[in-house]
Amino acid sequence: MAELHTTINGEYVVAEVDPDQSLAQFLREKMYLTGTKIGCGKGECGACTIIMDGKAVTSCIIPVLRAEGAVIQTIEGVARGEKLHPLQEEFVNQGAVQCGFCTPGMIMSAKALLDENPEPEKEEIREALGGNICRCTGYVNIERAVEAAADRMRKGE
Amino acid sequence: MKYVGQNIPRNDGFDKVTGRGQFTFDVHLPRMVYGKVLRSPYAHAKVLSIDTSEAEAMPGVRAVCTFANTTQKVWNGAAPMFITPLPHKPVLDQTIFTDEPKYIGDEVAAVAADTEAIAEEAAKRIKVEWQELPAVYEPLEAIKPESPDVQPKYANPEFHNICGGPVILEFGGDPTAAFDQCDAVVEYDVTLPRVKQAQMEPHGAVATYNPDGHLEVICTTQAPYPTKMILAEALDIPVSKVTVKNPPYVGGGFGVRIGLSGKAEILAAALSMKCHRPVKLIYTREEDFTCSDSRHGGYLKCKLGAKADGTFVAIDTQAWLNTGAYATFGTDLVGVCGACGTAGAYAIPNFRYTGWPVYTNQMTAGAMRGFGTPQGNAVVEPAIELMAQKLGMDSIELRKKNSTREDTKNWFPFPPGSCGTNECLDRAAASIGWEEKHGKAEEQTGRIRRGVGISAGTHVSNAAPFCVDYDTILIRIERDGTLFVNSSIPEIGPGSTTACLQVAADLIGVPYKNAVMKFGDTDAAPFDIGSHATRTLYTVSYVMADAAKKLRKDIFDWVGGKLDLDPAKLELEDGVLSCEGKPLGNLADFASQAHLEGKQFMASSCQVPPNCLPFYAQAAEVEVDVETGMVKVLKVAAAHDVGKAVNPPLCRGQIEGGVLQGVGYAVREEMTYVEGKGFYNKGFHSYMLPTADDRPEIESILVENPDPSGVFGIIGIGECGVNPTLAAIGNAVEDATGVRFHEFPLTPARVLAGLKAAGKI
Repeated sequence: MAELHTTINGEYVVAEVDPDQSLAQFLREKMYLTGTKIGCGKGECGACTIIMDGKAVTSCIIPVLRAEGAVIQTIEGVARGEKLHPLQEEFVNQGAVQCGFCTPGMIMSAKALLDENPEPEKEEIREALGGNICRCTGYVNIERAVEAAADRMRKGE
Repeated sequence: MKYVGQNIPRNDGFDKVTGRGQFTFDVHLPRMVYGKVLRSPYAHAKVLSIDTSEAEAMPGVRAVCTFANTTQKVWNGAAPMFITPLPHKPVLDQTIFTDEPKYIGDEVAAVAADTEAIAEEAAKRIKVEWQELPAVYEPLEAIKPESPDVQPKYANPEFHNICGGPVILEFGGDPTAAFDQCDAVVEYDVTLPRVKQAQMEPHGAVATYNPDGHLEVICTTQAPYPTKMILAEALDIPVSKVTVKNPPYVGGGFGVRIGLSGKAEILAAALSMKCHRPVKLIYTREEDFTCSDSRHGGYLKCKLGAKADGTFVAIDTQAWLNTGAYATFGTDLVGVCGACGTAGAYAIPNFRYTGWPVYTNQMTAGAMRGFGTPQGNAVVEPAIELMAQKLGMDSIELRKKNSTREDTKNWFPFPPGSCGTNECLDRAAASIGWEEKHGKAEEQTGRIRRGVGISAGTHVSNAAPFCVDYDTILIRIERDGTLFVNSSIPEIGPGSTTACLQVAADLIGVPYKNAVMKFGDTDAAPFDIGSHATRTLYTVSYVMADAAKKLRKDIFDWVGGKLDLDPAKLELEDGVLSCEGKPLGNLADFASQAHLEGKQFMASSCQVPPNCLPFYAQAAEVEVDVETGMVKVLKVAAAHDVGKAVNPPLCRGQIEGGVLQGVGYAVREEMTYVEGKGFYNKGFHSYMLPTADDRPEIESILVENPDPSGVFGIIGIGECGVNPTLAAIGNAVEDATGVRFHEFPLTPARVLAGLKAAGKI
């Protein structure tokens, strides 16, 4: 076991971790942040996407100790209490959610994009979501939701 | 209608965008242990000996199960086991574990241990002595008498390696004789790949067996009741002592878990029965890809005959589909391939279809969105295109001339319902620019060739009367006047619970806001077959209509009695009671008052739904790079007659998602079998799913011809999006290149080979 010091959703966390675990396993099994999904365990589907030090990363292939000193945001840290982030609201409003298993990772990828680039082109949205697989929606409404959220955020929300 | 037709945000949206929504993978129970499976490395083998002693001796191991210490009862892991109507009988050919594995991945043993790592290590330490046996992989090989027997005990004894079939469909005409009367006859044949559902949540179950004899399984099934029945029968437990529920969300289905999820439920349950602890068994993505039902691949050929004016006279189709090592849905699906894929869309008086579900030593094939219809569509629609060419007609005009009308007699034992094919064809054609773009192959000489193609078709809106397909529902009014619905349908993603509540709110006359549905739990409501066959909204609306009538009567009788008014004159609309236009008060107040007098407004219903055919047409535009062979799908215009779109964004979502699955089916996705190693595609990396940055433009077009059988005119939509896409794209590729392909998906290598063989490059 090893000791990990990291910041998760704004809270400083010190935890005993199994160094063989992935960051996704640690978040889910130790922190009970099960919003981060594991769809493949190999960094291929994007369901486990979180934001680490400002970048969208697939947490299922990141060794947990790589999070030492990092600032991590998971899907659970995106809303402010009951107040949803515009991305979360638009995912619901635009019909971007179906089964919901890819949704947290999809939102985290989109958030990392908008955090860095508030006015993305359509192509940039598609590229940012290119590593997140969704089998339900055909991506049409997901892209629409990201555009709508970007729009709202530019207007100051 | 206050709520039907409205863009109401789905009721599970908050849970799903905040990460609070619980899926099977997220379930954690006290004393829970983890399961891992030992699978056969051989496509066909005999287990000569098995030694589990080393595995059992490992610290942390709680249970080891094999064929030697679990029941050898035979069953079928898919819903047909309990929904096959008499006099038909389901094929029962599976056991929990086997000592004669029949495909690479077949279950031989399983371990439960304190951690996944210990379970995995223990499974490796089970010593097995194997004797490899001969195997066969392709359906056309497997039907030859000299091929090895895959299921000698359970195959149809009259034919070689045929599972339950053949399925022969006819309805009076005689195609063999009728072809002689035709002015034009065309033939087309096609080889289709196996593709995988690739739903985002892998199969999983958390099973808890209590020594009092009760088994509770939280799992990813899309058919809780059939799963409960299969588990009870296969594990020898009274059915009343088995609970099956979703947690409550399921990360997609697309048919892969209409019944057991792979075998996750029964493996976890068998282990839990040994160690009396909750056992969590989550398939790895590799297990999901290589050890659970895929779509059927195989070979189909179709002969179509018509008069010189284009009137279709006869059609005869044969299909040999690879159903793999076990039956699951094999026999049923091969039937639907003929019925929905070749019989429903057009009026053709002389019809025959022969479907052969063929056992092979590969992973089992079963239900996947479309359930045989995409395969049937993929052989009939190109034949229609060839017929149009032969007769010198526009293929859309040819389709419109022959499309099923309200009075068409066809194979189906129920009326087709409202027939929107021609409107769908027109609108899809207009959206893709058919007039300007079609038929330009010969004018194109550059590296990039463009073309457009179209395909029409139908499906069903549920499985009745071909399956035991019915719904039950319990509804009640809470003290605050809100509606509470108990139904055991699952929510696998479409937004079924939202749309069903919209319908319920309008039927009963209560506000949609705060209405609740308890779903996906066999303890929460009586039998419902589950989410399959494009049925959930269509059929739950039907049973809801009956329950709503009863609930309104219950309310009106009580309120009428209280206020001394004729119950027949009462009305309830959006939660307000009135008598001949005069408001009487809120339902909430009456419900509260009734409660204090020992009365709750409630009703139930159990109904076998009617059925109707959902018609649709999709047009595709493609670009073919004749140097690389790359087919790029630019746009799919998908026009679907949905009768009434209860929630237009959710409805479009069904179409758009289906279309993209169809695009993958046509140009990218393919399970590739490597002899001795099994399927090459062990994960997303080696299985080419469409992603956001390579999807085409998808225009979903909602055509709304209310169906006479559907509540508010609703027609099923769920599976339809995927059904015609492959054929539309294949037709577009021919339109672009002048080459008709006979094997899918249209990967660059196949396209280049085809262009070369045709002398085009």
